[in-house]
Amino acid sequence: MAGAPPQNQIILAQPAAAAPRARGLAWHRVNRVQERLLGYALIAPVALLIVLLIAYPFFNAIWLSLTEKMVGYPARFVGFKNYADLWESARFRIVAWNSVVYTVGSIGIKVVIGLAMAAALQKAVRGNQLLRGFLLLPWVIPTVVIALTWRWLLDLYRGLINVGLHDLGIIGSGIHWLGNPDLAMLSVIMANVWRGFPFFGVSFLAAMQTVPQDLYDAASVDGASAWQQFYRISLPSIKGVVAIVTLLSTIWTLNDFNIVYIMTRGGPGAATHIFATYSYELGIQSQRWGMAMAASMYSLPVIALLIIFVVRYLHRDEAAS
Amino acid sequence: MPRAPRRILTIVLVLALAWALQPARAADVKLSLWRLKTYIPPADKILDTTVQDCAKQIGAEVQIQTYTFDDMWTKYTAAIESKTLPDVAELDSVGPARLANLGRLSDVSDLVGTVTKELGELAPNAEGAVKFGGKYYAVPHYVIPLILFYRKDILEKVSAQPPDTWEAINEISVKIKKAGIQDFPQGFPWNRTGDGYDPAMSLLWSYGAAWVDKSGKYIGIPKDKAVQAIKVVTPAFLTDKTSAFDYLSWSGSGNNEAFMAGKIAFTPNGPSILFQEDSTKHPLRKDTAIKMMPRGPAGRNLALTFVMNWAVPVDGKQQKEARALVACIMSKDKFTAYMTGSFQQAVPLFKNLINSDYWNNADGKVITETVKLGRPVGWPGPTTPAAAEVISSNVLTDMMTRVIVDKVTPEKAVEEADKRIKEIYDRLPVK
Repeated sequence: MAGAPPQNQIILAQPAAAAPRARGLAWHRVNRVQERLLGYALIAPVALLIVLLIAYPFFNAIWLSLTEKMVGYPARFVGFKNYADLWESARFRIVAWNSVVYTVGSIGIKVVIGLAMAAALQKAVRGNQLLRGFLLLPWVIPTVVIALTWRWLLDLYRGLINVGLHDLGIIGSGIHWLGNPDLAMLSVIMANVWRGFPFFGVSFLAAMQTVPQDLYDAASVDGASAWQQFYRISLPSIKGVVAIVTLLSTIWTLNDFNIVYIMTRGGPGAATHIFATYSYELGIQSQRWGMAMAASMYSLPVIALLIIFVVRYLHRDEAAS
Repeated sequence: MPRAPRRILTIVLVLALAWALQPARAADVKLSLWRLKTYIPPADKILDTTVQDCAKQIGAEVQIQTYTFDDMWTKYTAAIESKTLPDVAELDSVGPARLANLGRLSDVSDLVGTVTKELGELAPNAEGAVKFGGKYYAVPHYVIPLILFYRKDILEKVSAQPPDTWEAINEISVKIKKAGIQDFPQGFPWNRTGDGYDPAMSLLWSYGAAWVDKSGKYIGIPKDKAVQAIKVVTPAFLTDKTSAFDYLSWSGSGNNEAFMAGKIAFTPNGPSILFQEDSTKHPLRKDTAIKMMPRGPAGRNLALTFVMNWAVPVDGKQQKEARALVACIMSKDKFTAYMTGSFQQAVPLFKNLINSDYWNNADGKVITETVKLGRPVGWPGPTTPAAAEVISSNVLTDMMTRVIVDKVTPEKAVEEADKRIKEIYDRLPVK
């Protein structure tokens, strides 16, 4: 063709134009690999810590629960015998029921108090910040101190509560807070609620403060009462946070040890024994590690189901919105 | 390599080798010692000073760690599993049986021989906790006997004599309550502490309800006798209302506090209440009296639950020095200083010292008589790992609280306890 470059020139021109693009692609690929390797390197220490401090003990505990392991002796595999023996034990069934009562009771009350606290503190009034800080105090005080204080408060003879009620003429003789089986459970729940309600309150408050004020203004214009605004606007808006906070607190409460151990040691009898204290009794006092691990593992399926339920609920909610 | 540097390198290597091969200097010997933190701080201080003096004598450095009654087995359990038991371990009454059975304690028969030369024969009722298969695996240090504390002024007010039987305690408690002096005068906790399981053993044994034979093998709880024993003590909570349910949740010091607050008239405890009252010039000191724990139809068979023993675990690499340390701590002068500084809490188990003039007073006689009549855990057999677990699993106190709290019949409670005990002995057979 006239004016067309010679063939060899055409051939030579093509490699010259493709070379910079190929180099760019190669560099990009190498860069991505390096970034990936850097990412792995950065998370490696954390991953190692998780494996050593969480994964290994967790799987080791599951293994031990399937063995007849006594302190100082080698572990002998027995399958699900420990679980079966525990379930047949009337004492363990009491422990399981106590754990349910303790957890459900504590969480239920904490949710209500937390919502009330958040609703009250949501309004910008003078002294609000100070009050918020003050209400966080139970959360920052060590649990051991809280448990010891409540044990003193509820002492039959010298506890402030009995002495105060007696001096006010409300009671004639001391209430057996830690001796009556029902009151003992109520007492440990009270201590747990006192310790944990700030977490609920502060979390709910933070969530409520992300709700647009326009919604409340519009509701006011439409004549909605404060309760209606709370029930129809605040609560639906923060239900994700409520679900997560409740889930976390349920896990912590099911595994609680300090409060019950210090206040009642699981007594009177086994009236306040829960999974953690019973597991301690089996593992440390009786030296039966296999059985102790099985006792503590009983709460695992419940927790797993709760996690699945909450996660699915949140995903569904997210998809709907 | 050039000559000069080669020469220097050779000299350095020779010196390094010589340093590595030299025998360990005395200051290089480091020992670890674990001991109980008692309720008598002055006695603890004397013991620590003794340990350090002995350490200097044998040319070692000793690091002391302490534990309380409550966390003792938490500490030892971790150490057993990780094979990090200390060089010298103070163990409770079941510790030697447990650890010797695991092969974790050295034979200290020669050490016991050395100690008995100075301190006299070992009390026969102390052997069951430390002697297995003809060998000693621990050296008894002292025993804290549980005695019955009572308010003599209150007993005078209701015209009662100090009780000698379990029934008498009930009767006097009812009188005290009726007189309006105290609401719940009977402070027997039946809880998961030594104040619970020690009296529980004494009670059952005093009714002839031991569950093993003389070899320590399981024979079953004599049900009638055990039911009879339970029926004597549980009415205090259920019908007489002379004991408060709160006592079941007491910690180890709960009964001490209640007694010193003047809220109860009877309680079982070690002599530490005497120290607490003496050291604080407590107003109730003049009204506090002690007696041996009650007897039953089968006599007075008192449990010696709080026997503290020195053992030398095999984990330690300084066996010779560890033994020398124990021998020094248990030498006559040093142990006498500890005993006389313990406010009558540390009762020796060796003949010469238990008969010394230090105990020749009203309280001292009650305390030493209690020890002389005491029985080891696992009586009428020796202390075995199974007997240890019966105590540490709270089988006996749970039996009481099943009746008191869960309102099951004594017969059912005994049956359940017997089943648990049998399961323990099946799992830990006595050899």
